[in-house]
Amino acid sequence: MVSGLHPRRLNEALAAMADPGVIALAGGTDLMVGETETERRFLYLHNVREMRGLRETPDHLVVGAATTFTEVLESPLAPPLLKEAVSGVASPAVRNAGTVGGNVANGSPKADSALVLMVVDAVLLIASARGERLLPVADFYLGGKKVDLASDELIVEIRLPKSRLAPHYYCKVGGRRALAISRLSFAGLFRQERGRIRHLAAAFGAVTDVIFRDRCLESMLVGLEIPEAKKLRQDFLAAYGAALVPTSGRVSKEYRRSVALNLLGDFLTVFGV
Amino acid sequence: MAPHPISEPVVKKDHDLKMSGRALYAADHYPEGLLFAAALRSPHARARILKVTPPELPPGHIYADHRDIPGPNEIPIVNCDTPVLAVDAVQYVGEPILVMAGPDERAVRKLLSRVRVDYEVLEPELDVKTAGTTYCDYNFGRGDVDKAMAEADKTYDEEFETFYQEQAYIEPQGLVVRWEEGKIIARGSMQCPYYVHEALVHAFALPEDKVRVVQDVTGGGFGGKEDFPSNLACLAALCAMKAGGRPVGLFLGRAEDMECSTKRHPSVSRYRAAVKNGRLTALDIDVVFNAGAYTTLTGVVLLRGVASCVGVYKVDNLRVRGRGVKTNTVPCGAYRGFGAPQTVFAVEMFMGHIAGDLGLDPLDFKIAHLAAQGDLTSTSGRYHHPVPLPAMIEDAVKNSGYREKRELCKRQDGRLRRGVGLSLWFHGAGFAGTGERDFIKARVRLVKSADGRVEALASNTDIGQGLKTTFAKIVAHELGIPLDRVTACSPDTDRCPNSGPTVASRSIMTVGELFRRAAVKLREGWADGVEQVFEDDYVQPDYIIPYDYDRCRGDAYATYSWAACVVELEVDLLTGVHRVLGVWGCFDAGTPVDRTILTGQMEGGLLQGIGYSSMEQMKYDRAGRIRNKTFSDYLIPTAMDVPLIKVTLHVEKFPEGPYGAKGAGELPLPGVPAAYLSALEQAMGGIPVRHAPFSAEETLAAVMEAGK
Ligand SMILES: Cc1cc2nc3c(=O)[nH]c(=O)nc-3n(C[C@H](O)[C@H](O)[C@H](O)COP(=O)(O)OP(=O)(O)OC[C@H]3O[C@@H](n4cnc5c(N)ncnc54)[C@H](O)[C@@H]3O)c2cc1C
Repeated sequence: MVSGLHPRRLNEALAAMADPGVIALAGGTDLMVGETETERRFLYLHNVREMRGLRETPDHLVVGAATTFTEVLESPLAPPLLKEAVSGVASPAVRNAGTVGGNVANGSPKADSALVLMVVDAVLLIASARGERLLPVADFYLGGKKVDLASDELIVEIRLPKSRLAPHYYCKVGGRRALAISRLSFAGLFRQERGRIRHLAAAFGAVTDVIFRDRCLESMLVGLEIPEAKKLRQDFLAAYGAALVPTSGRVSKEYRRSVALNLLGDFLTVFGV
Repeated sequence: MAPHPISEPVVKKDHDLKMSGRALYAADHYPEGLLFAAALRSPHARARILKVTPPELPPGHIYADHRDIPGPNEIPIVNCDTPVLAVDAVQYVGEPILVMAGPDERAVRKLLSRVRVDYEVLEPELDVKTAGTTYCDYNFGRGDVDKAMAEADKTYDEEFETFYQEQAYIEPQGLVVRWEEGKIIARGSMQCPYYVHEALVHAFALPEDKVRVVQDVTGGGFGGKEDFPSNLACLAALCAMKAGGRPVGLFLGRAEDMECSTKRHPSVSRYRAAVKNGRLTALDIDVVFNAGAYTTLTGVVLLRGVASCVGVYKVDNLRVRGRGVKTNTVPCGAYRGFGAPQTVFAVEMFMGHIAGDLGLDPLDFKIAHLAAQGDLTSTSGRYHHPVPLPAMIEDAVKNSGYREKRELCKRQDGRLRRGVGLSLWFHGAGFAGTGERDFIKARVRLVKSADGRVEALASNTDIGQGLKTTFAKIVAHELGIPLDRVTACSPDTDRCPNSGPTVASRSIMTVGELFRRAAVKLREGWADGVEQVFEDDYVQPDYIIPYDYDRCRGDAYATYSWAACVVELEVDLLTGVHRVLGVWGCFDAGTPVDRTILTGQMEGGLLQGIGYSSMEQMKYDRAGRIRNKTFSDYLIPTAMDVPLIKVTLHVEKFPEGPYGAKGAGELPLPGVPAAYLSALEQAMGGIPVRHAPFSAEETLAAVMEAGK
């Protein structure tokens, strides 16, 4: 068996992380798939109190980075969009172990809970023995699976701004109905007040090397009245068509593009645009 | 009719062992001094081997290549063209060239990576349509097809294609081999111990009693462990020969297994039909199976393919050509259904398309052409026994609501569209032709101990399908003794007579009946307090019309099992994703020897059929490589992918089978793709489907193209 460290408090965990021979392990559902024979020691995060569970502050819903998907599903605090996305992750066994923090940290554009964090403009609290910092999740992804995380840092918690938790649209396309990595995923948020679009956000997973979001395109419709937005619908879709340059993988780029635009269009339709 | 008492379910003999996790599979045994073997495999689909430079061998390691093989460098399958190890050329990606062994598996693999092979890479043959080598070519028929075509009101011409299917057994292939005083002892995961035995006897030039093969608990086979374990056994035995008595284990990892073990043959079938006055008057069928690099089982797989190519229908004018063509790809082999799924898919889709063109429901058109008892089969044998399809169709249609749903699905709109499809098929039960009599000559043995316990000895393996239980049930029932007094052992060629391979859905129907008859002898000759042995040998039933292999004429099978299946699904027009809503299967495999086991077999086979229809995508690329060789790239259905499977059993007793049982194992799979994909056609608003599997991506492309 691999040897490991089991800190109970964040400061112990952060102190341990200062050793470059130590690697954080939350659920292990990504780590254990790769090379399991490593010289590095595992730092198990599941007992770190500050990193567990969901709580509410006046402005935020806070998800501890080491919170498992199952805990998210069972929490009355978790927003419906997050639950919907998390319920589509893998299988019950993987959801019992896998964590939201691990899902973000692995840097994958196919990470299902990370898609939600992107569309709600979540902010990460990242800490090391050197100190802590807040980082919008969008800035965390540096492209090509690279993330803005130093080797001694941990993601402690993830803050979801309540102001962003609007009515949503969600769809995951996998190769089958369980244990399927996203071939494309889409999450959209939409809020209108008295016929005027107040907020619109659209994020696409598994299309490019990072989760795709374009605030500039989103703003095309924000502030408009629904009938005006309807007139711009085709232009809006065409603009996304031009901006989305999917990669091919288990499915072709043409398929990814078609599905992405179909879902974006359906998202607008569902919200009356 | 009251169900036969033997059908009453029991707890499987190996239930506790497996459920408690105590069952030991090939790789779970760690005999003292075990060495690990691994093969160096070709990265090229076609190349000449110019030079092999092995690294310096560390102490305690073994190196073997074709020069070490004591006998002929051949694996006898049907023919002997498959080499144990490549000599001066490689024919497919994954072909073994040499083998090494040592105490640490990783170290062996590292050592293998340091072998230098100089190749002259050649252009591989990858397209069956242009490939130059035909391994087998069957031609048969009856009537006058050309005349019927000329006189037809309308003719039809379509091409159907199917791709690989991987058996995806949960336990990868693996064996342990040792030499003990001039004798090879091989044990491991396999379906056919005597095939492995024959291969070792041949390649090592040994007398039969100098090879012993024992089956370990085997985690699934589905045909994938029919011939392939022979290859591995020879490789492991070569190392064992040099290991000074130490056992040598050869265990494939999943990726190696998926890349270089056998799979279902890809196929291209051209179907032409003549229709006059609304009736099918002729079929002209040309089937091509992609054999891969060597002949292996292609000849027999294709035989079943062409024997099934007319489906369950009656047609007077028939012309069939079937070819097995060589390509520089992994040799294909057996997979549940054995050639039938490819042609059943084609004929069922074709019948549906013709019906659609005639403005008829596919089911009505099919019913109008059903074969009945006494009619000619494709190979001009006879359906000697009743054909129970009309009652089975009624059952499947009623349970599924096929007719109402088919009608409702004609008018729909919105994002999610439904469709329902139905298919009919048979499965030829047992070995093809007169193979049982001419080649297999099955024998079983019952050994009764002095204390009245009975052991059933045969070479058929329990690979999860429950044979240990069902064989024991037959013997116990016939003897009228409790089930726990009868055991069926894991085959050991030193102890068990050769009752033939565990293939062709033959174990219960053919070997089970031998056990029943041996049990009758034992019952009649039972003497308390002494050991007794009774045997029984296969005898061909009188009614069989001898099968002429050259002309493909006669009874391809002793009898047939029957199936009717309905699939209902839903398609998301925005994503192309399919969702199966329900599967209804009505199956006739004669008398169930155990209702739960039989139902389990039917459900499992239906699920494999669903995978073969949709998500189980595997092709080779332009270099002849299979790229998706893990379970995250090659998806098989999960329980979530089928919310409802309803199996009903119809019983048409087979007089020659034990209590009326006939072939069951392969029955549930072959027709599923046709039911599934005709449901998909309907959901897509009538877009025709001509290949399987059909992916979500292809679905979306098709509906978007049609919507333009
Ligand atoms: C069979 C299977 C199916 C899967 N299906 C899905 C799916 O459908 N959708 C999906 O999104 N994912 C899926 N995954 C991937 C995986 O389960 C998720 O990405 C999960 O969220 C990873 O979390 P974890 O806690 O297990 O991460 P771990 O494996 O423990 O860690 C992953 C990486 O993140 C680092 N890390 C973990 N926590 C922190 C932290 N708090 N701070 C800093 N670094 C950290 C680790 O060092 C490691 O590099 C699947 C995995 C498997 C094995």
